[in-house]
Amino acid sequence: MNRIKTTFENLKKNKKLALMPFLVAGFPNFGQSLKLLKTLATEADLLEIGFPYSDPLADGPVIQRADQVALRAGSTTSKVFKLIKELRRTTEIPITVLVYANLVYQRGVEKFYHDAKVAGVDGILIPDVPFEEMNIFFQVAQKNDVANICLIATTTNTTRLKQIFKFAQGYLYLTSVVGITGARKDIPQKTLSYLKQLKKQTKLPIAVGFGIANKAQVKKLKVSGADGVIVGSSLIKLINKSSKIDFRYLLKFLRRLNS
Amino acid sequence: MPSLLELEHAYKKFQNNKSIQVELKTLQRNFIGRPTSLYFAKQLSVFAGQKIYLKREDLAHTGAHKINNALGQALLAKFMGKSRIIAETGAGQHGVATAAVCAKLGLECTIYMGEVDIQRQQPNVVRMRLLGAKVVSVSSGSKTLKDAINEAIRDWISNVETTHYLLGSVLGPHPYPTIVRNFQKVIGQEARNQILAAEGKLPDYLIACVGGGSNSIGLFHKFLNDPQVKMIGVEAGGLGIKSGKHAVRFSGGREGILHGTKSFVLQDTDGQITETHSISAGLDYPSIGPEHSYLHQLKRVRYVSVTDKEALSAFQLLSKKEGIIPALESAHAVAYALKFAKKLLKNKIIIINLSGRGDKDLPEMEKGLKS
Repeated sequence: MNRIKTTFENLKKNKKLALMPFLVAGFPNFGQSLKLLKTLATEADLLEIGFPYSDPLADGPVIQRADQVALRAGSTTSKVFKLIKELRRTTEIPITVLVYANLVYQRGVEKFYHDAKVAGVDGILIPDVPFEEMNIFFQVAQKNDVANICLIATTTNTTRLKQIFKFAQGYLYLTSVVGITGARKDIPQKTLSYLKQLKKQTKLPIAVGFGIANKAQVKKLKVSGADGVIVGSSLIKLINKSSKIDFRYLLKFLRRLNS
Repeated sequence: MPSLLELEHAYKKFQNNKSIQVELKTLQRNFIGRPTSLYFAKQLSVFAGQKIYLKREDLAHTGAHKINNALGQALLAKFMGKSRIIAETGAGQHGVATAAVCAKLGLECTIYMGEVDIQRQQPNVVRMRLLGAKVVSVSSGSKTLKDAINEAIRDWISNVETTHYLLGSVLGPHPYPTIVRNFQKVIGQEARNQILAAEGKLPDYLIACVGGGSNSIGLFHKFLNDPQVKMIGVEAGGLGIKSGKHAVRFSGGREGILHGTKSFVLQDTDGQITETHSISAGLDYPSIGPEHSYLHQLKRVRYVSVTDKEALSAFQLLSKKEGIIPALESAHAVAYALKFAKKLLKNKIIIINLSGRGDKDLPEMEKGLKS
């Protein structure tokens, strides 16, 4: 959990934005996935890793397909933890995971958070649990010293925000659009003004995700006060583009986003 | 989540709004054609040695009980000021009902339907399009009802301000299971009065098929406080439980979280939702309404299953004996009733919910008969 805090503090001192790539664990297979994450860790400030799921409700077609590819290649919850453990041996970068509620519930909430901690995970985001149902996950997160990452959207009103602040740790994940993941060209004006308002209400760093694909978007977000950007679908699209993964090109793409 | 709170709040107001309730009653009568009859199936009764009544939801407008909920929720959506309706559909009955109600009430309508279901329920796809709905083919996952729900939820969270998600069964997050059950409980309310008028007493058994569980809960609800009335829910046994190709949540499933509800779910050890199989698209779903899980645990309702094959032969039998072509979904309830009848003393009163008519299944039926 401290890794997240230190990272954002250091970036803030240098007036830099956190670059936070998202990848699906085990996509396209275990070996390549590990290599991808290790490579991205050299350029990124934080890694977000998704547990592949059969029914990823918050995700658009690109991540849905990546989930299916990973599952077909044999990804399981235990293998994802193994992957993170191996990744952790080579990097001290903060790692957060995105996981749908049923995977946590089936492993047992206690065991899931414990295994995550042991593997080297710093924060957990469960996109299909609203704060009304969050207490049990939150308590176990506390116990294991894993940050409880919360999602918000521009439709989240002040009353709900106040409630969410009680549970939010690490950073706030603001979705750039109301909806699902997937690359878009621009950032809605509404999101930028919401971001400015949000900045005044919290000391937590704010990372914006869903739809981030180009430099112009990142610039706008930075000006409006974002502390980080999460890039998922557009990265996975690049990986899908050719049969052989061009690792150097991926790094170049990331670097360019935040230049 | 804010949209669910908005829905819950609006639904409370809707229930207390007298003029809307009057409008709902009027449309139930004139548009749907309620009450549907409780029909004494004489030939079938002789064949089974029991007194078998069919609650004729197949006679409701658009051919199934689905219209009860579609009409109610569409009125609720209008009441909330929404201009656009989205819905998922498995067999297409909920899609057709939603499309019809939207046409009548002047609402824009988009229906999500799995690619596999589009193929096996072609007649309903044509009907939806004729009624002015946009039908979106869903090709993710198992390409059936579960995936259509995923896609509808994704649409809803992207367009929540203008759009009402008209969920078709007693599934999904609160308040949906309650709302849908309340719009369907009219089935049991009518059936209870009708059987008392016909027989002067309550039935011994109620039998209904269970996919998500809306027709069954609709029939059961009014009888829950009548301890002498036993209830049976029939799940889709597909190729048999041992084959692994089925949708029997209460035999192969365990507690899990899907589509915002904790209930019995068919899944692997990790919690990945597994693919289901049933000849009937409307029963082909890996979870079951949470109220059914509750009734199962209370042992108030007994849940059983019949295979594709048994459903197919009941489909034919009812057609030949009574001149009624049932939906393949409802044929599951008929199949179990006939099997069960052999174990009973003579002349028990059994009400089967004939949840829909089978026109939509004729292409699939032909295939099933050949194989």
